[in-house]
Amino acid sequence: MKATIYSRLLGLAMLLFTTAGFGACTQDGGDKKEEAPSFMETQQEKKTYGKIKKVDVGSTIDATMAKSGKEVFEMKCTACHKYDERYVGPALGKVTERRTPEYIMNMILDTETMIENDDTVKCLLQEFMMKMPNQSVDEKEARGVLEHLREHAATGK
Amino acid sequence: MITSRSFFRGCLTLIAALSLVSCSKDDGSSGGAFSGDAASRVYVAPGQKDEFYSFVSGGFSGQLAVYGIPSGRLFRVIPVFSVDPEKGWGFTEETKPMLNTSHGFVPWDDSHHPDMSQTGGVADGKWVFINGNNTPRIARIDLTDFRTKEILEIPNSAGNHSSPFSTENSEYVVSGTRFSVPIPQEDISITQYSEKFRGALTFVKVDKTSGQMDIDFQLLVPGFDYDLARAGKGPSHDWMFMSCYNTEQANTMKEINASQNDKDFIIAINWKKCAELAAQGKGTIMNVDYAHNVYNDATHSATSTIKKQIRILTTADIKGALYYMPTPKSPHGCDVDPSGELIVGGGKLATVIPVMSFSKMLKAIESGKFDKEIDGIPVLNYKDCLAGEVVRPGLGPLHTEFDGKGYAYTSMFVSSEIVKWSLKDFKVVDRVPTYYSIGHLNIPGGNSTKPWGKYVIAYNKITKDRYLPTGPELTQSAQLYDISGEKMKLLLDFPTIGEPHYAVACPADLIMKNSRKMYQLKENKHPHATLKEADTKVTRSGNEVHVYMTSIRSHFSPDNIEGVKVGDKVYWHVTNLEQDWDVPHGFAVIGANNSELLIMPGETCTLLWEPKRAGVFPFYCTDFCSALHQEMQGYVRVSNGGSGQVTWNKK
Repeated sequence: MKATIYSRLLGLAMLLFTTAGFGACTQDGGDKKEEAPSFMETQQEKKTYGKIKKVDVGSTIDATMAKSGKEVFEMKCTACHKYDERYVGPALGKVTERRTPEYIMNMILDTETMIENDDTVKCLLQEFMMKMPNQSVDEKEARGVLEHLREHAATGK
Repeated sequence: MITSRSFFRGCLTLIAALSLVSCSKDDGSSGGAFSGDAASRVYVAPGQKDEFYSFVSGGFSGQLAVYGIPSGRLFRVIPVFSVDPEKGWGFTEETKPMLNTSHGFVPWDDSHHPDMSQTGGVADGKWVFINGNNTPRIARIDLTDFRTKEILEIPNSAGNHSSPFSTENSEYVVSGTRFSVPIPQEDISITQYSEKFRGALTFVKVDKTSGQMDIDFQLLVPGFDYDLARAGKGPSHDWMFMSCYNTEQANTMKEINASQNDKDFIIAINWKKCAELAAQGKGTIMNVDYAHNVYNDATHSATSTIKKQIRILTTADIKGALYYMPTPKSPHGCDVDPSGELIVGGGKLATVIPVMSFSKMLKAIESGKFDKEIDGIPVLNYKDCLAGEVVRPGLGPLHTEFDGKGYAYTSMFVSSEIVKWSLKDFKVVDRVPTYYSIGHLNIPGGNSTKPWGKYVIAYNKITKDRYLPTGPELTQSAQLYDISGEKMKLLLDFPTIGEPHYAVACPADLIMKNSRKMYQLKENKHPHATLKEADTKVTRSGNEVHVYMTSIRSHFSPDNIEGVKVGDKVYWHVTNLEQDWDVPHGFAVIGANNSELLIMPGETCTLLWEPKRAGVFPFYCTDFCSALHQEMQGYVRVSNGGSGQVTWNKK
């Protein structure tokens, strides 16, 4: 029974992907290795989905914020994300180099909206087949996670 | 699939049904809800929500069921006194202590009377209390997460039926014993009933903030059968009223021998006065054993403490706080109207419904004119306390609820009907059949100072021909009636679990807004919690193996474990790392003489597994969690002998 349910689900998912204009996913999410695929470079010009419209990141890293963000990251994200290898989800060690701060914050805070609307996320879903769970992180914590990821990208910490 | 033929047949049936309507009376006697717009009155469209929550006793299932009204849809069965392998209740290491008693672990009970906590006489949506009838206990269910948080055993009680009715501000919940027994227990002849057996009426104090219960004092009263109770309200705030039968003190063939007296009693207890005397140190301390089981929200774990002493007050200790009001005949229900002035007795064998007056009772007490005394308790004169009688109401009056608009609704077991009568002149104004043999009935808030008098729900004892047959045992059933107009109208039949006794209901808003969505990982203080995947591990201490495991869509960590030996006790401590609403994970392992785990987001649960064979065995997630749910599994290797050094795959 379960196998049947599974194959139906999979079928349904395939159908959704083939009918919902996923032709745009020219290659994988680009996160198997830490290299930014070319189509992601247009990210900056894309429409922003989710409740965070603008994030002001400083020119330097806020170490305190990054430290608290690391704690949140370890508790709520590392079960599925590693820094330098693909796991359940994409590697995030250099995610700040290929995604905007707004994208990262919205992915954490407004996961459902992003999955539904953002083309990049749609492509990633097609590749990873796992909807990222909303882990009930608040805005301050999410900002900390972003800062931690910026710090990690810069220093490997 | 609707084929054209079956569609055609359906149309014919519909036409036949419609033509039936035109010649059936609009009194529900057709046995169906054909009349008028009954269907639309109970139809809650897909995605829409019900107006009321109803908490219905599970009877001999020992649980508490949650329904939506008016749809009659079942949302949840909350495990209370009986084990529930689906939810791991009574199986997980965390919940086993909840079912501990002075008799040891008891996996079942019979739950009858939910009562909601009240503030100012109005249901406040915080907790539901419910009695365990067989091994006397009271449970408290938290309405933020719909879980049983506390179970308190009642010593000296034997059949906790008259329970756990709440006072106006939930200062106390009460526990009256249905069966009297020797107190303290002793090995004596049953025929010594009248000289040796006593009744225990226990007052359990409830903490206003935490809800935590504790026995404040216990009254030792004559050895009758104490049946049902209600606290006073407003002017009668300080009093508890409790029906009792078997004033004959029969100890055999009670159906005949306890039905001899023309009148039994409602005992009026001035609990405020008793509490004051207890606080002053009146009475004596008795050595007893009773379990107090408390579930801790921070550790997700229960502890059971066997407590040793209670304060006993005898009738001599509390002179002037107890009175017997004669009530015809073998009274069952004992219900107080929203004003707090009228106390309605439901005499199972009576031909009238007696309505007692609180103010007249006070006058009678003041006059000092008593019929007699029983064990120092004055027996008041029936007529002196009587506000009036509902004459020829039907057969077998049991329970009464109120609509807040001046009417009372009494269930009639023998004549299978609800009778509506006026609180002004005690005249019957309407009656409607029930299918069949109604026991309790409930109006949302119908036991409080503020009833939401829109519906009355009948909880029936017999279903007979109302549903598709399911062998010798048929579904239990409730019926919903509209009481917004002059005439009661049957709207809906719906099945219930166990055997429904009492139920409480309140507007959905009261509870919805406080409903918990998950347990916060950062607040998880479970001693075996694993709050991030990096901390997962397996440890051994002698023959105990502890697996510190996490689950998230859709994998366990670790998911390959070796070094377990036959004869080990393996404790799987699984923490669900999800922080999203409605994403529990399950955990099951082959051959476990145990249940599954069903772990809520942010929660830690522990399953004990004692492998009996060598080999490699799978474990898996039982709750379909994502498209890759089928992949959510792992293996544990069990060896005969070997070093027993445990290893696991680190992620």
